[in-house]
Amino acid sequence: MKEGFRQAMAWLHTWAGLIFGWLLFAIFLTGTLAYFKDEISHWMQPEIPARSVTSEASLTVAQHYLQQHAAGASRWLIDLPDAREPGLSVRWQQTPTKRGERGQFTEKLLDPQTGAEVQGRETTGGEFFYRFHFQLQMPYPWGRWLSTIAAMVMFVALISGIITHKKIFKDFFTFRPRKGQRSWLDGHNAVGVLVLPFHLMITYSSLVIFMSMVMPASILASYNGDVRAFFDDVFPQSATPELSGKPATLAPMAPLLDRAREQWSGGNVGRLTVNNPGDANASVVLVRDSADRVVHDFGSAVTFNGVTGQLLGSTPAQSLPRAIAGSFYGLHMGRFADPVLRWLYFICGLAGTAMIGTGLVIWLGKRQLKHVKSGVMPFELRLVEVLNIASMSGLMIAVAAFFWANRVLPVAMAGRADWEVNSFFIVWGLSVLHAMFRRGRAAWVEQLALAALLFGAVPLLNAVTTPYHLGMTLARGDWAMAGFDLTCLGSGVFFAWAAWKMQRAGQVETVARQRVQPIGLEQEAR
Amino acid sequence: MLLALLLCYGGFTALCLSMDRHHAELLGRKQSARRRQLIKLAGWLLLASSLWAAVASTGWGLGLVQWCAVLMLSALLLVLLLPYRPRLALSLAGVSLLVSPVALFVQS
Amino acid sequence: MKVLPVSYRLTVTSRVLAAVLGGYVVAALASVSLSLWVPMARADAVVTGMMTSFLAYLGVVIWCFACRTAWRAWLGVIVPSLVLAALSGLAYWMGRS
Repeated sequence: MKEGFRQAMAWLHTWAGLIFGWLLFAIFLTGTLAYFKDEISHWMQPEIPARSVTSEASLTVAQHYLQQHAAGASRWLIDLPDAREPGLSVRWQQTPTKRGERGQFTEKLLDPQTGAEVQGRETTGGEFFYRFHFQLQMPYPWGRWLSTIAAMVMFVALISGIITHKKIFKDFFTFRPRKGQRSWLDGHNAVGVLVLPFHLMITYSSLVIFMSMVMPASILASYNGDVRAFFDDVFPQSATPELSGKPATLAPMAPLLDRAREQWSGGNVGRLTVNNPGDANASVVLVRDSADRVVHDFGSAVTFNGVTGQLLGSTPAQSLPRAIAGSFYGLHMGRFADPVLRWLYFICGLAGTAMIGTGLVIWLGKRQLKHVKSGVMPFELRLVEVLNIASMSGLMIAVAAFFWANRVLPVAMAGRADWEVNSFFIVWGLSVLHAMFRRGRAAWVEQLALAALLFGAVPLLNAVTTPYHLGMTLARGDWAMAGFDLTCLGSGVFFAWAAWKMQRAGQVETVARQRVQPIGLEQEAR
Repeated sequence: MLLALLLCYGGFTALCLSMDRHHAELLGRKQSARRRQLIKLAGWLLLASSLWAAVASTGWGLGLVQWCAVLMLSALLLVLLLPYRPRLALSLAGVSLLVSPVALFVQS
Repeated sequence: MKVLPVSYRLTVTSRVLAAVLGGYVVAALASVSLSLWVPMARADAVVTGMMTSFLAYLGVVIWCFACRTAWRAWLGVIVPSLVLAALSGLAYWMGRS
């Protein structure tokens, strides 16, 4: 620590990066996958049709269904379909028996064209990756705390990395492959520096997203401990008018969509909440689709009386600080992104994942060099090696296992959604065991080869287990399904290449080691 | 986004060439200080115009996001191409700049 | 692998504690001071305070590892904490009276 600022930052970067690197790799990979969570869900529930219907038509269908099945409920929630989520989701909440308690929720997925209930195979789908990347499969709120702590460490690692990188401008375009450790470092710097705006944005925004949870001091100080009041200020959802007790028919809601659009000068409705349907004081709250703009507006809602259509209120424009917080939220989620921009988000996410992965490999590689001759690694390095393999190639295999479970488990099996998730963790656990019992390089090669096999075979698996094979989906223009199959195929090819490179590098190493000995003997003979 | 991407890629290639180390690698000969400054200026101008291209078509909010995305992607593409296919990297830049007026026409 | 002296391990632990725990305290106090002093609506001030707090946290972490001794690390935590606490207290007292 006495050596100087840059060296101190290098030390900090190295150790912060190592301790949290394995967790951050998992967070980044699953988060990156989450950008396509709707498409993943679509592939995992191929039975649910993707239809394009106008918002008005689906709203009418939803209203009709809810009138028939949930007339006595205290609240209806309707999520309108959009380009990425083709399902029309309706939920209703029964009046709670005791005040202040949450009523029971029932959820149904409807075909927006026919209004019939749609039943896809039970699965968590892409939501699994989305939730995992910030909840880490841990009980509330521990997962979120851990992932936010990891985000703070990531922030420290990014900044310390920038400080440490002396020639950040001179080496901006530098990438020298085929030079061993030098290449890995060049690669780490390339995916780090060139994609830096994304890395900084995604890291800082993840802190902002959970800031009320992890940094509540100012809320408590300014609001004298009344946290509720703070949230009411920030999420100004108009108060629900009291139940009048007089029954009245709910007017058709479809015309309200246009009136809401007028309030927002364009834009789309994402969700409707109907409070006390069937009552004279029924209110309809229309919330804006978050895919509409970059800056996420938390409270943006328009409220109408459900019977008379009278405008009850609309939320005021965002203040600057809240717009900034909304920007962080919106940029992180990327809901506004069209397919091209979404793919760019995905590529940037993969770059971040690669940055962490290359960092972990470099950490071990540098220290491993000292022990090449003896062939035996001290326990600490062996631990890092096992964790590196399991958290990287092991995780990839687990992701593939999740997709395989979706197609292999019987459609009617009870609890299949849980078993898909179990398959993910069981296979991940097995990869840890495998990494423990195999030598480093062999473990890498075998796991990468398995990943190549599992991912590459996904289109084949899909063709064998469902009628929605690649030929059919391409012809039909179902880009989500086809894209999924093709991306898995591409990943398979990538992993196969990686496995091959790993094996070749291992062969070069053995040859080099064998060559060392004859020269030594010669020298002794002289 | 296409016009912004083309201009960005061209701009980064120019900035890369303005560095002596890369210039020597790619074009084999040394450059005068004046040439270096000219290429550097051209590079920055191209990047600035790509920002204009992004914001002009989709406004400041989405435009800035698209510009950053295009910036990062074109830099990655260039840096990954340079060691493996340097001639392709350079000719892509040339093609990008040639095609950009067409992209400008299509965009407006 | 050479065995690291206990004194080294102690200094590192000390710096880590200063950075992690002390950093949080400074960040929290910074968010409170900022939200009480900045002339904005209450909710906006709180949001601004929370958003900027992580920069304070970063600053403390960097200081704790960049400074020359572990003692200085703690100094860099305690002094700002006292100053920020005083500022917050002042704003709070002014707000109430």
